[in-house]
Amino acid sequence: MTRHLNKLRWLSLSLVITMLILLPYLSVYQSYTAAHAYDLLSQSEKRLYDVMEFLTGPFTDDPAEDLDVIKGTIWSGTFFGLQLSDPLAVAGQIAAGVVIYWPFLVTALIPVALTVVFGRFFCGWICPATFLYELNTNLGAWLYKAGFHVGTRHFDRRLKYLILFIGLVLSAMTGSVMVSAIYPPAVIGREAYYAIALGGFGTGAVFFILTMLFDLLVARRGFCRYLCPGGALYSLLGRYRLLRIKREVKDCNDCVKCNAICEFELDPMRDDFGQECNNCTACIAICPTDALTFTLNYRDLPYQGHGQLGHKFRGDNNVHIETKQAA
Amino acid sequence: MQRRAFLHDLIAASAALLTAPASLARSIRHKPGKRFLRPPGALSEDEFVARCIRCGQCGEACPNRCIKFFGTENGLSSYNTPYITPREQACILCMKCGDVCPTGAIQKIVREAEDILDNVKMGKARVDEGLCLSYQGKSCGVCYRACPLQDVAITIGWMEQPHVQDACVGCGLCERSCIQIPQAIRVIPDYS
Repeated sequence: MTRHLNKLRWLSLSLVITMLILLPYLSVYQSYTAAHAYDLLSQSEKRLYDVMEFLTGPFTDDPAEDLDVIKGTIWSGTFFGLQLSDPLAVAGQIAAGVVIYWPFLVTALIPVALTVVFGRFFCGWICPATFLYELNTNLGAWLYKAGFHVGTRHFDRRLKYLILFIGLVLSAMTGSVMVSAIYPPAVIGREAYYAIALGGFGTGAVFFILTMLFDLLVARRGFCRYLCPGGALYSLLGRYRLLRIKREVKDCNDCVKCNAICEFELDPMRDDFGQECNNCTACIAICPTDALTFTLNYRDLPYQGHGQLGHKFRGDNNVHIETKQAA
Repeated sequence: MQRRAFLHDLIAASAALLTAPASLARSIRHKPGKRFLRPPGALSEDEFVARCIRCGQCGEACPNRCIKFFGTENGLSSYNTPYITPREQACILCMKCGDVCPTGAIQKIVREAEDILDNVKMGKARVDEGLCLSYQGKSCGVCYRACPLQDVAITIGWMEQPHVQDACVGCGLCERSCIQIPQAIRVIPDYS
């Protein structure tokens, strides 16, 4: 059952990115309805109006009010009356102003609480950049098959904690929330809005394309692994997460598929998930023997030794010969 | 005693090292860039830049679509912060941006004339009498008629000559509507 969670995750990622693209259109549509001037719109604006009216018509007859229920982006937004913000936004603001603004701090409590329980789940299940980065990983795999061995560099995963620290220090020194400029989910939300509602991408799009190229050509999924300040903060918050993936050593055959699929270069085959696991369930989905399951525990198990299903496959055990004869 | 002196020096040196880039960064911030307005109810410029998390919800909520966002042209510290260019699209004082701002960088202000007059200070309009048609003997009065706070923010005299009062909140609708090119009335921003 759990192996189908990966499909659910892709559904979640697709919904998030669809919403991020749809929301600017809804906002533009709302401003058209507020102006009460359909006849004055240009041809393309009329087309947009008609499409959005067709899409939202079944749900609302008062777009100016009703479409306000979902507003903003993943960085900070309103979701059916509930204000939610990224913990990094709060951290950046506290660093920049050196004061705590409580009404804003409160909006990050639900994400923080969820992270304490589910770990860095945001990175795998919600982050709109993850959707594009994972497609980028697939592109890298095709390149690899075609003979271009790119994106194979490795760096130190602790680099991103340094980036988080430097980002916050820079925010404090300039008195400006600098971290928002180098955090892909915030960048994507903004750039989608700029491109659709304001008529053109900003400089953030260049930054995002550079991270994509870095991932493709230098290090696979490199930005999330080594550089993302938000990922670093989520990892720290999720260090003692309750929901973890666990290897069932009886069922494991040491095939290393989980280590190869892991986007964050963790080591599920040796029970080493660590604080950076985002419970994305890609390893569960690919495991051929269903050896990986969820468990409730605040820390990982120590290395449990070789997978006990392995001997049979390696032929260094009588079990293998016996089963062959039986067949 | 020697150790204490050394520690003292160490602390002084590290403090100097920390404040030097800070003052440099602050000097980068105050550059004489283009003339722009912050959304109505925005905090003072320094506080605003420290408070705003660049989520873009103010622009999304603006029904008049007058709120735009900085790229790098106004210095890195105001990267992605909202601004208004009144000549292109002026603020209609609907106060929706303050309602959606999650951080209080744009204060929540009720959409009533008294609250707006008390709390909004985006700037103050100034008339260039050398350009203004009414001062050239051709009565115009467009800025007076465009003003949402007529007779409070702007009064009109002989030949419909506009006189901006101290109550002006600086929404920029007069500048937007001025029929002279270049405009004879413009909002001088107030960032304090």
